[in-house]
Amino acid sequence: MIALYLPGRSILHRAPAGVKLLALLALALLISLWPHTGVTIALAGLVVVALYAFALLPPVVLLRQLWLAKWIVVLMVVTQLVFLTPWDALVNTVRVVSIVLLAALLTLTTRSEELLAALETGMRPLARLGADPRRIGLTLSLAISMLPVVAGIAERVRDAQRARGVRLGFRIVVPVLVLALRHADDVADALSARGAD
Amino acid sequence: MSTAEERAAPGSNEIALDGVAVELDGRRILEDVTVRLAQHRIAVIGANGSGKSTFARVLDGLVRPTRGTVRVHGLDVARELSRVRAEVGFVFTNPDAQILMPTVAEDVRLSLRGSGLARAEVDARVDAVLRQHGLGDHADAPAYSLSGGQKQLLALASVLVREPRLVIADEPTTLLDLGNARRIGRMLIDDLDAQLVLLTHDLELAERCDVALRFHEGRLVEVGQPADVVRAYRREYA
Amino acid sequence: MTDAPRRFDTRDIARIAVFAAIIAALGLIGPIPVGPVPITAQTLGVILAGMVLGAWRGAAAVAVFLALVAVGLPLLSGGHGGAGVFVGVTAGYLFGWIPGAFVTGLIAHSGRGRLSWWRVALGGVVGGILVVYALGIPVASLVAKLPLDAVMIGNLAFIPGDLAKIAIATALTMTLWKAYPPVFGARRERALAARTAPAAADATDASAR
Repeated sequence: MIALYLPGRSILHRAPAGVKLLALLALALLISLWPHTGVTIALAGLVVVALYAFALLPPVVLLRQLWLAKWIVVLMVVTQLVFLTPWDALVNTVRVVSIVLLAALLTLTTRSEELLAALETGMRPLARLGADPRRIGLTLSLAISMLPVVAGIAERVRDAQRARGVRLGFRIVVPVLVLALRHADDVADALSARGAD
Repeated sequence: MSTAEERAAPGSNEIALDGVAVELDGRRILEDVTVRLAQHRIAVIGANGSGKSTFARVLDGLVRPTRGTVRVHGLDVARELSRVRAEVGFVFTNPDAQILMPTVAEDVRLSLRGSGLARAEVDARVDAVLRQHGLGDHADAPAYSLSGGQKQLLALASVLVREPRLVIADEPTTLLDLGNARRIGRMLIDDLDAQLVLLTHDLELAERCDVALRFHEGRLVEVGQPADVVRAYRREYA
Repeated sequence: MTDAPRRFDTRDIARIAVFAAIIAALGLIGPIPVGPVPITAQTLGVILAGMVLGAWRGAAAVAVFLALVAVGLPLLSGGHGGAGVFVGVTAGYLFGWIPGAFVTGLIAHSGRGRLSWWRVALGGVVGGILVVYALGIPVASLVAKLPLDAVMIGNLAFIPGDLAKIAIATALTMTLWKAYPPVFGARRERALAARTAPAAADATDASAR
């Protein structure tokens, strides 16, 4: 599974996924709701940089995350300059970007499987509302294993059309859908046969 | 209704169908199948669309009959579906459609979900069954990275880890190359402790079973010694 | 169509999982950047999920897809993913996809019997545009601390692209209705004689539900 996770041995890497998730929520709320001044916003930025350092991630990782957030920065700065003062634009942009970077840190330091397991645990209270967290977990894992299968189907369909020299444009989606959903019905039989009902 | 005397006791090896028919939109897919089978290895042959696949799915409750009753090892498939599913393993044709979890070990572990076994016992069983199927080194590998033959071995491992008392295999070797087909065939015919219902176009494999059934256009047309049934089938296409 | 499930069965689960993977695969096409918010085929997948699977299963497929993104799979168009996208300016649009697919499915499958193209298209417009924007615009305005009307005006730029996607999704759905009817539910399965054995097995199962 190709994920955004970067392996490491820092305390942040080893902390339980659920704890990190809750900490992220708390920090994100704090940063978004705090009435910011120049000092507090600088502090928020520093916390982010410090946490990346704490995760023992090389500075280039932080820069890459900033680059990935470039559209947010552009959108924020440009639109804010139209309606607000340059100072407010700066404060708001730093605020949003620092939260995005914090969330990215969770992703960078936590394996997808651990987050999935944390999600399943977090959904346990939903059982009282009639949801079945184990079935939800099963569906999520099943979807992960279907990713390469559907990508493979799409590739085969594209190759077949190239071989016949036709270009379907968006209509290529139809055979992919048919094959993928047929596959889903076979998968359903296998699920039933293995007692996943 | 069958009487108590007719009914096979739980724990028996009997597969019993009484007047089983499957209809769809007025079209008959399976017609009035009545048969009792207690042999260890049961071959099912017939052309594509002859009804043998529907027959196999009726045994596991994947297809519900329009009429008639199906009993597997003394269990009524319509009424005791979850117990039947615990007793019966099903190997499908396409290995891709049977691999349900992202990694090899997770896929086998899925079969033991809700089995009530302790975690250590689950790990031990998963490990053992993977090694038996030559997948011991691939436990944490992404399942999609396996070859076609390995995928079918994984499918088989995921079925056998539940220790089923009946294994139904629907053309399990059709999509495999010769070497893998032979290997899977041998594992099912020679090494399996459970009872086997094997649907196949491989007539040599069918001949090595204890009894053979032949389907034709939705009817069960012949039940008998595999050699005789295969001969009759071959004659039809001579 | 009363597809409100007390409990999804294995067929539903398989279709939900596969459709989540289809939405991911559509993310591989593009994105075509138009201003700061890129136009992607991914939202086409979201609308299709509602149109094809209906309200409950469609919304579930979108939720599953977003959960995979949240746990760190780079499945969003352009290889994005992770928790970061759910706290950014566009988070509201992403969350809006779930009720968006639900409403799309609700309207698209509201007719008795046949699927009609105008219901499907209407579902796409209401679910895919109105509902998604109803969540996306306020959240963007809140996160960026921008006036609501400013974000709204900015959104106008995406309406033509969205309409084009709805037209495409409607055409694809109507073609699929002819090419593989079983997926649209038991009613359709019973209405048409299935042509192949797997589809036949499908329909027996569904009608026995």
